[in-house]
Amino acid sequence: MDGGVGAEKDLKEAGAEALPVGRCGIRIKGWTIESCKRPILGSLALREWEEKLGTSHLPEMVFGESFLNLVHMESGIKIHFNAFDALKGWKQESLPPVEVPAAANWKFRSKPFQQIILDYDYTFTTPYSGSETIELNHEKPTSRDACHSPKWDDCEERIDVVALSSKEPILFYDEVILYEDELADNGISLLTVKVRVMPSCWFLLLRFWLRVDGVLMRLRDSRFYCVFSDDNDGRWPDVLRESCWREATIGSLSVLA
Amino acid sequence: MSVNPAPASSHGNLDEQIAQLMQCKPLSEPEVKVLCDKAKEILMEESNVQPVKSPVTICGDIHGQFHDLAELFRIGGKCPDTNYLFMGDYVDRGYYSVETVTLLVALKVRYPQRITILRGNHESRQITQVYGFYDECLRKYGNANVWKIFTDLFDYFPLTALVESEIFCLHGGLSPSIETLDSIRSFDRVQEVPHEGPMCDLLWSDPDDRCGWGISPRGAGYTFGQDISEQFNHTNNLKLIARAHQLVMEGYNWGHEQKVVTIFSAPNYCYRCGNMASILEVDDFKGHTFIQFEPAPRRGEPDVTRRTPDYFL
Repeated sequence: MDGGVGAEKDLKEAGAEALPVGRCGIRIKGWTIESCKRPILGSLALREWEEKLGTSHLPEMVFGESFLNLVHMESGIKIHFNAFDALKGWKQESLPPVEVPAAANWKFRSKPFQQIILDYDYTFTTPYSGSETIELNHEKPTSRDACHSPKWDDCEERIDVVALSSKEPILFYDEVILYEDELADNGISLLTVKVRVMPSCWFLLLRFWLRVDGVLMRLRDSRFYCVFSDDNDGRWPDVLRESCWREATIGSLSVLA
Repeated sequence: MSVNPAPASSHGNLDEQIAQLMQCKPLSEPEVKVLCDKAKEILMEESNVQPVKSPVTICGDIHGQFHDLAELFRIGGKCPDTNYLFMGDYVDRGYYSVETVTLLVALKVRYPQRITILRGNHESRQITQVYGFYDECLRKYGNANVWKIFTDLFDYFPLTALVESEIFCLHGGLSPSIETLDSIRSFDRVQEVPHEGPMCDLLWSDPDDRCGWGISPRGAGYTFGQDISEQFNHTNNLKLIARAHQLVMEGYNWGHEQKVVTIFSAPNYCYRCGNMASILEVDDFKGHTFIQFEPAPRRGEPDVTRRTPDYFL
């Protein structure tokens, strides 16, 4: 199953249905969960993105038309994952560039007046942890429609790893790459989101992964978890989100080894 | 009595090897050794700026995507019916670096005047150990000998080519240490690609929208602006710089007001980008035609886009 839905029998038992032909996803317990994987952006689209984002550097592979959407139909809440918002986050965070080992031997050989330093975060590190909106084009206008974006609140509750370890059938699964860069053969920068939908819940992992060869590794994970509830008419669904950022230099790791 | 039986039989052998390679079947280690020894003899005679005549078809990165290389030959014409100029990056990333580079080297030995194979930044000991070719050699031969034979041969690959004195072809781009083609002709290329210096630049640098020389934030590698390309082409009486090295969705991409073109010949790069590939045909009258192509239909190749659902946490 290539980013697709599970066995028909399992879907039926869970009261789920696959999205119509041509779309990749599932409807289950009031949610529509859909993924879309498209080729990398072409030159024209890249120009537009550069303008909109105010940058002249984008990852080598921007899967700009790929996405993962999770829409709670009753409330109109939409949690979605896309490269554009992630790159907005990169642009805002604007980390200082990470130097590679070769830099130590690097000499400026051009004439000073012809020389410019391209000073930007070429690792495309992003604090992105998903996008949320409320789709207003719903039949039942409620007072909540005034609020355009759902809010995340701090809470004590944790993602139930034990429940997630049970081997419920996976009704829908997919992994979507949002962007990727080979750092000109100095490592990898990769932002992906993967989702699995079971009869009782959905779970997803948004992961930014960076390896700068000989320098550092950086991981920024956001996990989302939602247990389906049968009686939440009109209520907002409870979605748990946990973020975890880790980073270590290769030097410090080799000391440990 | 035949006039010249010896070369005929050796070609016969080579022709068989080429036929075998065209079916994506690698040669044995001793065969690779013999082949690379012959290739070395041919390549060491070539110039750092190897002159090439039109008509010729110029190609960019292949990256071990053997079936797409076979498709390239179907679309561009078989070698030697079509003359080819490849601008490096034959290995790494794809699954068939061994078959891809062996085929290109075999064609070079068989038709030395019909095919030119330049060096890319991946034709290096260091890079191939990180990005796949080394591991693939271990997997397919059980030891690193074939990797060693090839990476030793890569040192002899020419760095640049010059089509009809007007199209300058190379893998990466220009260098602030190089103003003329003559200065390239004079350096000793037979070595591992250095981390720094003009030889490194030719294989690594990229054109950029900004003028002048850009120093990459990585602290290594240059970008060059349109002013630099214009000056270089003017100084050396060139019409165009054709280079590879960067993925472009359309398979080719003009830059610097048509002073520079990027050509990329690995469609659906890394089996997931969905990009087109292209090749540039330069005809007898030096006219240019780009031919775009899509991935070859796959037979029995692992489909990496297929992912088994897993209970990730």
